[in-house]
Amino acid sequence: MSAIEINNVSKKFGAKEVIRDINVSIDEGDFLVLLGPSGCGKSTLLRMLAGLESISSGEIVIGGKRVDQLPPGDRDIAFVFQSYALYPHLSVRRNMAFPLLMQEFRLWYHLPIIGAMAKRRIENSPRVVEKIAKMSKILGLTDMLDRFPRTLSGGQRQRVALGRAMVREPEVFLMDEPLSNLDAKLRTSMRSEISRLHKEIGGTFVYVTHDQVEAMTMGTKIALMRDGIIQQFGTARDIYTDPANTYVARFIGTPPMNLIMAKWDGARMMVGSLAIAANLSPTLAASDVLLGVRPNAITLATDLSNDSLNGEVVMVEHVGADSIIAVRLKDGRTAHNDDGDLDAVMVTVPGYCMLSMGQAVSITIDPHQMILFSAATGERIRRLT
Amino acid sequence: MRTSRQLEHMRVLAVLLMLGFAAFPIYWMFVTSMTPSSELFASSPRLLPAWSQLSIYAEIFNTIPVATWLKNSFLVAAGTTVLSILLAVFPAYALSRFRFAGLAVLGFALFATQMLPEAMLVVPLYSIFGDLNLLNTIPGLVLANTAFVVPVITWIIKGAIDSIPFEIEEAARVDGCSRLDIVLGIVIPLVAPTLAAAAVISFFHGWNEYVFAQTLVSSENLRTASVGLASFVGELSTPIHSVMAVGVIYTLPAIIFYLFAQRYVVAGMTAGSVKG
Amino acid sequence: MKRAQLARERLDGHPWTPYLFAAPVGIYLLLFQFYPLIQQFYMSFTATDLLTPTVNPFVGMENYSFLIEDGELWKVLSVTAIYTVACVVFAIGVGLGSALLLDSPFIGRSLARALITIPWAAPSVAVALIFTWIFNSQYGIFNRALTELGLQLGGENWLDNASLALPAILLTTVWQIFPFSSVVILAALQGVPQELKEAAVIDGADRLNIFKTATWPTIQPTVLMLTLFVTIWSLRRFDLIWLMTQGGPIGATNTMVIELYRQGFVYRDLGTAASIGMIGLSIALLVTVIYFKVTQMTEQAQGKR
Repeated sequence: MSAIEINNVSKKFGAKEVIRDINVSIDEGDFLVLLGPSGCGKSTLLRMLAGLESISSGEIVIGGKRVDQLPPGDRDIAFVFQSYALYPHLSVRRNMAFPLLMQEFRLWYHLPIIGAMAKRRIENSPRVVEKIAKMSKILGLTDMLDRFPRTLSGGQRQRVALGRAMVREPEVFLMDEPLSNLDAKLRTSMRSEISRLHKEIGGTFVYVTHDQVEAMTMGTKIALMRDGIIQQFGTARDIYTDPANTYVARFIGTPPMNLIMAKWDGARMMVGSLAIAANLSPTLAASDVLLGVRPNAITLATDLSNDSLNGEVVMVEHVGADSIIAVRLKDGRTAHNDDGDLDAVMVTVPGYCMLSMGQAVSITIDPHQMILFSAATGERIRRLT
Repeated sequence: MRTSRQLEHMRVLAVLLMLGFAAFPIYWMFVTSMTPSSELFASSPRLLPAWSQLSIYAEIFNTIPVATWLKNSFLVAAGTTVLSILLAVFPAYALSRFRFAGLAVLGFALFATQMLPEAMLVVPLYSIFGDLNLLNTIPGLVLANTAFVVPVITWIIKGAIDSIPFEIEEAARVDGCSRLDIVLGIVIPLVAPTLAAAAVISFFHGWNEYVFAQTLVSSENLRTASVGLASFVGELSTPIHSVMAVGVIYTLPAIIFYLFAQRYVVAGMTAGSVKG
Repeated sequence: MKRAQLARERLDGHPWTPYLFAAPVGIYLLLFQFYPLIQQFYMSFTATDLLTPTVNPFVGMENYSFLIEDGELWKVLSVTAIYTVACVVFAIGVGLGSALLLDSPFIGRSLARALITIPWAAPSVAVALIFTWIFNSQYGIFNRALTELGLQLGGENWLDNASLALPAILLTTVWQIFPFSSVVILAALQGVPQELKEAAVIDGADRLNIFKTATWPTIQPTVLMLTLFVTIWSLRRFDLIWLMTQGGPIGATNTMVIELYRQGFVYRDLGTAASIGMIGLSIALLVTVIYFKVTQMTEQAQGKR
């Protein structure tokens, strides 16, 4: 049974459609990452799952139950906010006990004194105490249960937010960029910690981020979104090795995939005057295509020849283990100079590269790692295997 | 070019002058109350209190019904505070968080009350209170004062609620809170300092109010301190130092209480007004 | 209006909830503010005697035309205008000055900030009482100080002198309300970006220039808002003036609200009193509309929104 089903869900803010007819279904135990640039609708989709945002059409099913008209509290979900959203007036212990308290809440608990006594009784009940003890041990929060959120560091607050989500033992955990307020080092360790928690406590996770590294390392499934539409849905490997369109190809990977302009004349694929083995279906009409290749699937050579692409080095960056070389082709153009990038092919070379600016080089593309897209639509063109 | 030291001295002088301006009238009320009758009209005024005159404060409680006045003022002020806070919290939340058809109307209505002079509404209120049998009662005064206090503190509380992040309320909704649970369990504790400020403001309004206390209540034993004190203005039979002593007893609790609450009042008031 | 959009989308609940939340206060204000207001509106077209308030024969615009023809209204209006404008200028001026003083660091600043608010906490009746005593012609400390300083005004009976009563009332009012503007401006001053001030200093600006380029633009909306509130409150101020001068001498301090009260409770003419109230209310509304126009214009001029 799938843990979450999103069927034909759309969302309009006034006339503007921010989520367009989305269909996704994931299994129990999956870790789904909603990935995309800001404003792509990923957070909105997550908030619609939580019930913090209404849906304009479609249906949402969580754990076999249709929930899209239910209030957030009845959806069997937990939500971790980017800003953590801890209750500033409650101690860590009571922040974590809060969802459990609400499960047994009665209206009269709002009364002063006797209501407070009733709340104490629930908070001190063995069920709640044991759960909080267990969760705070898992998260390493045992020593700070009686502190208040304002006295905690960012990472500690994040753990409390996770703890508050976990005590409910919900069907689904929803997380909205939970690591984006942390510094880089802490982010790396929290990343592996969340992955560990996912394995340890199980449950289905839906995680929103704009960070491709988080997506690639944590997600068992990734949905890459843009303008309210899912561009591609699949595993991290699928998305990296088998991108559905140029957008996906360019979004994942650092530096991103090179897109070299080429022409398909019905029989051969030409980059400038050089023919490259493409293995395309002969039924495909003659058209402009884009040749996609990752920077690490290109080899550089300093001896020029007529059956390789020649160019000159226009930039060299040493990033430690690798060097990144930009090569401007003599007889070919890239399709990604429109967004401010150099009109050059990026190549990663292991180690410290001794090439210098202006040097003439030739590049060879690994044909097995070459991917083709239609220049007109940006969609993938499948090659014959 | 002035040196920074000279500038510093000028600033200290200016601050002292300003504080003197602010505090002098209250100080003068106190000094006058502690001046023997023989010296009140002497050719050179007495600038320091004569501590031997302290007994005046015991005396006036025997000669003037100050105790009753203060008790009535306290009842009016306390009632106004409780009723105003009860009435203000929910509309403040609605103004801050909901967008609904009546929002602009509610906002304008609350603001418009600031333009209505009490003196204008006295006559119709007199007849309404007559119909409701509320004339000559403390609850009547509480109701009249609350009508003028609620709009002010609603805006103040709204300002404080504005500064609560949406995410906290959303977290509460995910945790299973209803809207009522959110207001009572999350919002009220978070705006507690502002509620304290609003309570102080309400209390002072009730404590200080004069027009309604003068017109809607006629019986002697329901007189508030403001009306009692006003009856001395322009009247000559009561010695001036006794009058000032009553003034001090009426004013001082307000000022002392206010100095303690001052931090919250200023914070609450500015939260509401500055962001506007 | 981004926030409005946000609020609606983020926290929409049951459609009735907002009305449920607003209803108690709505009903309350309807009953104790707007129903009386409507009654007053009607009453302004009637000839109603204070002693028989239920008998109110309809007279149309007679009260209004009486006020206009009588000529007294113009005097009242001019007194009100002078009083209001002076209140705004001095209360905000003194408030701004003291706020700037209290903004700079010095020893005992928090105590000074607390003490400055004393006048605002003092009840109007007590204020009227003490200032009446302070302004007393023979024994008041004010006159004694003036005589001591050798000024000619010493010995005048301030509250009984037609040309001095209004300044005396003004001094009292400013004393009572300047702390409010001081505290509000002080809070706004905390929003002045330090970097902007520092940039101005580095650019070689003097104090006045720093104020003009860094401070004023930040606090300007607050000052405008204060102007509105001080105006509206001055238009309706009653206790202080009534207790100190009752509008006299010879109408020198006779503002609209005082005239309203005199017409109603001294001359027992509730109809005329109500029509004065309506005129006063229209003025307050006009001021409010102007305020919103001005804020809109300045915001547009500054390129906001």
